[in-house]
Amino acid sequence: MAILSTPRSAVQLASKGRPLKEHLFRIALMASLAIALAFLAMLLLYVVEKGWPRLNSMLWENQPSIRRPETSGIQSGILGTLWIIALTAVMALPTGILAAIYLEEYADRTKWYNKLIELNISNLAAVPSIVYGILGLGIIARWLQFGFTVMTGAVTISLLVLPIVIISAREAIRAVPPSIREGSLALGATQWQTIYRQVLPASIPGIATGSILALSRAIGEAAPFLMLGAATLVRFNPEGVWSSFTVLPLQIYSFISRPQEEFSILASAAIVILLAILLLMNSVAIWLRNRYQKRW
Amino acid sequence: MSEIGISVPNVNVRGPEVPRTIEALDPVFTVSNLSVFYGDYEAVRGVDMTIGNREITAMIGPSGCGKSTVLRCFNRMNDLIPGARAVGEILYHDENLYGDHVDPIEVRRRIGMVFQKPNPFPKSIYDNIAYGPRVNGIKGNMDEIVEEALTKAALWDEVKDKIKQNALSLSGGQQQRLCIARAIAVKPDVILMDEPCSALDPIATTKIEDLMQELTRDYTIVIVTHNMQQAARVSDRTAFFTAEVDGAGVRHGRLVEFDETSRIFTNPSDKRTEDYITGRFG
Repeated sequence: MAILSTPRSAVQLASKGRPLKEHLFRIALMASLAIALAFLAMLLLYVVEKGWPRLNSMLWENQPSIRRPETSGIQSGILGTLWIIALTAVMALPTGILAAIYLEEYADRTKWYNKLIELNISNLAAVPSIVYGILGLGIIARWLQFGFTVMTGAVTISLLVLPIVIISAREAIRAVPPSIREGSLALGATQWQTIYRQVLPASIPGIATGSILALSRAIGEAAPFLMLGAATLVRFNPEGVWSSFTVLPLQIYSFISRPQEEFSILASAAIVILLAILLLMNSVAIWLRNRYQKRW
Repeated sequence: MSEIGISVPNVNVRGPEVPRTIEALDPVFTVSNLSVFYGDYEAVRGVDMTIGNREITAMIGPSGCGKSTVLRCFNRMNDLIPGARAVGEILYHDENLYGDHVDPIEVRRRIGMVFQKPNPFPKSIYDNIAYGPRVNGIKGNMDEIVEEALTKAALWDEVKDKIKQNALSLSGGQQQRLCIARAIAVKPDVILMDEPCSALDPIATTKIEDLMQELTRDYTIVIVTHNMQQAARVSDRTAFFTAEVDGAGVRHGRLVEFDETSRIFTNPSDKRTEDYITGRFG
């Protein structure tokens, strides 16, 4: 039996200090995550605590007022933001999704003009939002004479989110396996039937998630609206697409730039509302993704 | 059943019922001098063969010999690859498949295809089958069409109680038979199969092979396979392809030999065929 047993010294299973390194690495990873979360928590706590006294129904029932900050609301801002987002969704989503379908399903990627389009869409996604504000001011507000209206704001924001919508919709479309397209085409389906009946239904959850995230980015934008010269303190609600308007980030900006402490509290309360809308949209996106996620 | 050759023992070869002919007597496809290009690269050069009506034709050969490429010419699936083009002629009955006025959509409706990996749509079993008839505007009782297609594909008994369930919940073998049923539902003339059993276990493979024999009563089948025993078991005629390097050092797929399956496996006329089927290369 002595032959069968290996001498103890031959097997080296003892630790060589690796567990310590593993440990340190894990701690570094968790610390990075903790820093990000801690700042988010601090920010949330700060605004909720500061805005708490004003987090009541007056906030969305009243219009903003310079003279009575203690009863001032942000109704015009909330409604302005909702108008802009709805109109942006109507304009940017169909355009962006159709553009993504063209790029993924029809465009011949070897052609120079398609390569140019792809490159430029990636570039556009990285253009600072204030540049879109300049574009909106020069072309949409002045040249097309749309003025400082909901329409001008929505067109500008649509241009801003369009590259993001296109990029995320392309990713969702690309995630549909080619074998599904082949299977459909091999049955005598046309290319459009294949896209409409197979590719789109399979990629809608991904497209919806990306679109919502793109729109929720648009909600937080203040710079392009500043550039457009949207009034910061509007005491009436937008009544249509040709009405003048303000949005929540601009309203917050105007409150904060005033010296009175009441306005600072009001701004915090408005930030909480803005964050609530954002979180709501993002949770819808996450819910959609988990609910309809396809596993091939 | 014909004599079994010593080179491939224990293989059941489907025998000829008619006197030996290299070319099919009643051809569905007549391929003449077919070459397929991807851009400037000639992937397959100078193929001549015929596909007989209500027969099973197998295409065998080592990887990269162009057998799938040729198969995908029969329903013009190669059109979907940018830069791919076919030169030469493929007659489908009397009509040139690559003629100017030919609509590839119409071609694919008549010439169905089953792929290497089962690719059911992420929909219910019912909707998978009904998809082809729907996109082709086939009128009629859809429930009957679905039941008939599933019955022909020997799947009806297994799925009749869960017809509204997602097709992805089926096993791999069932999924592949679903794909065959899906192809049958548009009432094609020919079914092309691109290594239909390569992702399946032996039992599922046997089921598909039995099904293929059943289907030859109504359909012409062309199958690409890596499995020589499978070709020997199921097919009437076999085409052996290989890759050759020409004078310029470029690899092309070539058709080496095309004959009745029993002949290919017992008495091949080309040395390369013999080497391949006896396992000396490939």
